[in-house]
Amino acid sequence: MAGTLETALVQTLNGVQFGFILFMIASGLTVILGILDVLNLAHGELFSIGAYAGIGVFGFVIGVVGPPSGVLGGVVFVLAVLVSVLLTAALLLPVGTVFEALFLRAIYDRDQVYQLVLTFALLLILLDVKKFVWGNTSLRTDAVYSAINSIPTSELVGLNYPTYNVFVILVGIAVVAGLFWFFDRTKTGRIVRATAIDREMATAIGVSTDRVFTLVFALGAFLAGFAGAMAVPPTAATLGMGTNPLVLSFVVIVIGGLGSLRGAFVGALLVGVIRSWMITLYPPGEIAAPFAIMALILLVKPEGLFGTWGETA
Amino acid sequence: MSADTLLSVRGLNAAVEGFRVTEDVDLDVNAGEAVGLVGRNGAGKTTTFRGIMGLTPVWSGSVRFRGEELTDIRSELVPKRGIGYQPEDRKLFTGMTVDENFRLPIWTSGSARGIDDEDGVIEQVYDVLTELDDRRDAKVQNLSGGQAKMVAIGRALALQPDLLILDEPLEGLAPVVVENLKRHIEAINDRGIAVLIAESNVTHVPDVVDRLYVIERGDVVASGDPDDLASDEEIQKLMQGSGTE
Repeated sequence: MAGTLETALVQTLNGVQFGFILFMIASGLTVILGILDVLNLAHGELFSIGAYAGIGVFGFVIGVVGPPSGVLGGVVFVLAVLVSVLLTAALLLPVGTVFEALFLRAIYDRDQVYQLVLTFALLLILLDVKKFVWGNTSLRTDAVYSAINSIPTSELVGLNYPTYNVFVILVGIAVVAGLFWFFDRTKTGRIVRATAIDREMATAIGVSTDRVFTLVFALGAFLAGFAGAMAVPPTAATLGMGTNPLVLSFVVIVIGGLGSLRGAFVGALLVGVIRSWMITLYPPGEIAAPFAIMALILLVKPEGLFGTWGETA
Repeated sequence: MSADTLLSVRGLNAAVEGFRVTEDVDLDVNAGEAVGLVGRNGAGKTTTFRGIMGLTPVWSGSVRFRGEELTDIRSELVPKRGIGYQPEDRKLFTGMTVDENFRLPIWTSGSARGIDDEDGVIEQVYDVLTELDDRRDAKVQNLSGGQAKMVAIGRALALQPDLLILDEPLEGLAPVVVENLKRHIEAINDRGIAVLIAESNVTHVPDVVDRLYVIERGDVVASGDPDDLASDEEIQKLMQGSGTE
């Protein structure tokens, strides 16, 4: 019985951990959709570039810090990993800025088909850029995962659970809190929300929508890069790794409400946990379960659980 | 254009969705003056205002504010030059509080307007729109129609504008609220802020404005003393049907 409970708890934690990674990806996607009205098909590739670039940054920073030893060493190592993730995400800021200013800005007034074609073209370009820069083989960074797992955390409460996953959950909570704080409390965040609520009225009070759009797209790219760097240590960076998270992020934002940050949070945790449970209860249903939930939500509440973005973050 | 002309519109041809709506509209607003623009629904009042604000395409004509051509600048710069705008359908930032709606223009345009005391300006807005003083933290979607109009006016006022453009601020409100809001508009004008008001009900504005323009089918067909125009039979005939708008 205890074993069953532990398995259920571990699977739930796995789901929550995956849900937070999914939220980091979906939040960028949904914010871009909510304010720019653009469905960015290249978002998964930004996530993927975050993973590839993250491996390089981890290698550099960990080379400087060295493996963790003792409590203080462990803390320093975790902080170094966090700094690496932030640096990786920061590398995506100019990428997002250039994409928005150079490509997307030209097609805002056009039919959404143009946006889909353009962002799909960007997806293909980024795929080739990855091949060019990192080659066809997958890349790994086992050092981060194993080093953080060597720091005992869950064992303290009698649970055998990877410390890296706990780290992802804690960072995920911080990201959620940070995003809600940004959009609910800061001046810039509220200006962005005002622009999402009524773009024209925002202009009439002096908002430069061009700047807001660039900021939002860069923020989306930052979040995708952040998620990529967080997600890569337990796995590997591969050329096709952007596809699944992109598709699942679509599911998440449809469940939560197109453009709703709150909805993306709830949707991501829902998809993450249910997918994780399915792995234990009925493995063949792992892929289908999120889509089944999405279909159900679309039938019962077509606008999604939380409606559109802006009025509430 | 006289020395104290604040806004000078000449030959304005503004369009909506590819169709020209206004036909060579001419109008002036002097510093500190209150001017009315009356006309039936669809006469071109809103399109004129949107053309001034740069929110709709201007095919030809000139909009000069303090001598600067506004049709040459980006629309987000128009409020920074000193024009506050209350749109016809209020367009409040729902989900946000009254206070946030007032502060947003200061955050976006405050430095361009020379505002360095945000809280002081906000208090000035509440001093004028006293009914909103105890509704500061209310979400704007929970306000009454009259209060919502006041928020839209207050938001424009928070810019400390030289000209306040009010698009049908009195439309659809109960008579007692209309009278109250008129007093607020007068109080704003008394502070030296020029006001340009659009109304579809000609009887609403004579006691608030110094001069009146009448617009019909996108064209300014009459202008002059508000009381004379309001009592003019031809104008009344022209405005027939305004009660149903």
